[in-house]
Amino acid sequence: MSSKDRDASTITVQLDGQPHEVRAGTTLAQLVHALGHEPQAISTAVNGSFVARSARDRVLGSNDVVLFFQPVVGG
Amino acid sequence: MDPVAGTDCGMSSDPWQVDGVSLHSRFLLGTAGYPSPQVLARAIRASGTQLVTVGLRRRLAAAGDNGFLQIIRQAMAEQGARLLPNTAGCTTAREAVELAHMARELYDTAWLKLEVVGDEYTLQPDPQELVVAARQLVKDGFVVFPYCTDDLVTCKRLLDAGCAVLMPWGAPIGSGQGLINPFALRLLRERLPDAVLVIDAGIGAPSDAALALEMGYDAILLNSAVSQAADPARMAAAFKAGVVAGRTAYRAGVMARQDFAVATTPVTGDPLLIGEAP
Repeated sequence: MSSKDRDASTITVQLDGQPHEVRAGTTLAQLVHALGHEPQAISTAVNGSFVARSARDRVLGSNDVVLFFQPVVGG
Repeated sequence: MDPVAGTDCGMSSDPWQVDGVSLHSRFLLGTAGYPSPQVLARAIRASGTQLVTVGLRRRLAAAGDNGFLQIIRQAMAEQGARLLPNTAGCTTAREAVELAHMARELYDTAWLKLEVVGDEYTLQPDPQELVVAARQLVKDGFVVFPYCTDDLVTCKRLLDAGCAVLMPWGAPIGSGQGLINPFALRLLRERLPDAVLVIDAGIGAPSDAALALEMGYDAILLNSAVSQAADPARMAAAFKAGVVAGRTAYRAGVMARQDFAVATTPVTGDPLLIGEAP
């Protein structure tokens, strides 16, 4: 556990493979908003599972692995 | 009206169906590897496609999508085209199912090109994971287009799982080798006469596309053959013509091959101008 995690006011999540500090109690929707993303412009997954837009009110936990996905060209 | 008159040789009166939707274009086009989104949009217009494949990727910090989606949506709207998101990069059924749900939310469509790769070198689909994922996704309400090999039994399992379309490869992705196993592809068409079959991957030249349609395949899907051309829009137009030619030939009935010569000119007896001088 990091020193920040011992501080009750913040936790660390893994965002796209990098440690990222958020306030304890932060929801996924709040994280999306804080990073400047339009909610409809990305899809989200936590700990390897899809989290629908309508379920982004879930509170993030320490060490949650958060991934954002965006449209890309494809064949 | 003459059934083959007009610029599309009757294609508009010869639709194919997916999940109750009629599609007139039999040319599905990928969106990767173009020099720019503008070139991609021109290729979409030139192809006349009504199904355009797209993907999803992890959003890295400060990474954008270069606006391609907004640009191609304009081109797609002009010809009534739909998006077909894929699950490229997945190696397990679980990954593919999760990504499919993300794609459905992001692109607002339940149509899905299901890809589960089992070999990194050939990018060959994993038949077992593919079937597992297909079963789940059909239950979840997706219209599943699995990218598969030409293995007949796997294709039957995918149909049993409820897939709307089967998309066997012509050759490995991006190889441009054409239809490397026409025997298997013909057998597949013959054994699954009611299935909607699309040749996906490996097509390199418009003649490959024409051959696929001549064999009775319902459509083709390609990307690199157009995106890597010196003039992608012109190549898209060439493929469109190849698809129309192949489909029209299939409907007209391609002649059976013969082992020996068969005279075409109706002659009786000796040639008239050869013989003894008078």
